[in-house]
Amino acid sequence: MTAVHQVLSSAGPYDAVSVQARLWRSLLTERGYGGADHAAAVDPRARGDFAPLERLRPARGDLLVIRWSAYSPRLLRLLERLERKLLVYHNVTPPGYFWNHHPGVAVACAVGRAQLPLFARAADVCAADSEFNAGDLRAAGVADARVLPILFDPARLAERGRAPGGEGPLVLVVSRLAPNKRHDLAIAAFDAWRAEHGGPARMLCVGEPLSPSYAALIGGLANGTVTLAGGLSQPDLNAAYEDADVMLSMSEHEGFSVPLLEAFHFGLPVVARPAGAMPEVGGDAVLWDRADDLAVTAELIDAAVNDDGLRATLAGRGRARLAEYEHAHTAERIEAAIKDALA
Amino acid sequence: MSTPEDAERGAREEAERRRAAGGYAGVGSQGPLDESIVHGAPSRELLAQWAVIEIDTDEILYSTRKGGAPITFLKRILVRLLRQYFVELEARQTRFNIALLERLDALEKKQ
Repeated sequence: MTAVHQVLSSAGPYDAVSVQARLWRSLLTERGYGGADHAAAVDPRARGDFAPLERLRPARGDLLVIRWSAYSPRLLRLLERLERKLLVYHNVTPPGYFWNHHPGVAVACAVGRAQLPLFARAADVCAADSEFNAGDLRAAGVADARVLPILFDPARLAERGRAPGGEGPLVLVVSRLAPNKRHDLAIAAFDAWRAEHGGPARMLCVGEPLSPSYAALIGGLANGTVTLAGGLSQPDLNAAYEDADVMLSMSEHEGFSVPLLEAFHFGLPVVARPAGAMPEVGGDAVLWDRADDLAVTAELIDAAVNDDGLRATLAGRGRARLAEYEHAHTAERIEAAIKDALA
Repeated sequence: MSTPEDAERGAREEAERRRAAGGYAGVGSQGPLDESIVHGAPSRELLAQWAVIEIDTDEILYSTRKGGAPITFLKRILVRLLRQYFVELEARQTRFNIALLERLDALEKKQ
């Protein structure tokens, strides 16, 4: 049996890269590949799915799938290994967002961006999960960068957990609590909408914080109607999607944005800035906030919550976008990339 | 039925109308984090700020494990026990950083 080992710089319970690695592992197992998943740093909550990188023992003929999203010195050792390699690039956030909030993460991002060409040269096949990210690979010297979209599994979205409490329309923000996601702007736009249009309303921000001090910083901006929930289990997140009236993203840098697809699955209208890969993923199914004016953002939220015709149009377009990320189709492309890398 | 394209145009017009009527007072494009985000190369002022290494351990030491509070407490105790070493480490790195910045300033003046 051919073994495919996935390697990450860090693995956690909720982040998009770890979730993708888990979905790939299910697919690989289903298609008869062996192997295991490893990370240079494993969050204790992800230990069931990922082993420390030191335990990686590939055999000749195995494939290493390197998921590149940040620098880790321990990943450098992989470059010396003789096994075939498939590089999957998930984008690295520009370090400028982190220098003042988490210098360690900023360094991992700065070096991660600088070392992309090194890893790209060592790989037999290079792929990115969006055209936007493939642009980075091309800039790193990869002439034949291919796009392997996110493996989207609707089955994960079936189970329902506990719905968020409170009254009034629910504005949902789903993204890691990190500076590039601009929760400060999301909260300001929500506050402006509430102040201008009145009535009860709630905002729920779901996502692991960059650090406890960053969570405290954003928590200081939130009033009683804004809840910072941290990471939620998938069933609880599903219940939040179902209960929400609109999803809001003020993010300034996105390599893909899986929550867009999840919102489409639930027929949830989305108001978002057209950042990074988001226009490519969201297409015409999103209310794009191009105005750079939080008053306009507030009005877009209002339209998304209260205009039933608009909601129906967005839901229909969302379903059409989702069809482009159909699981079986993406699975075929992933397997083709694996076969090419092994060939 | 309004389309997303109509809604985007409508949102701009409605925001303008409300502003004209005195609404959205103080609402612009800025957020509290704007100044903390570094676009491009850091400024001289910011480099001078970063040059001085002084780490607030209470801010950065934590554990993501379930019931991680005792682990966080243990980490803080360990750092406190090694405080002399860390203070010296910070001081030496700061000394180098400041000297390097001064050197850079001198080079810039020469150009």
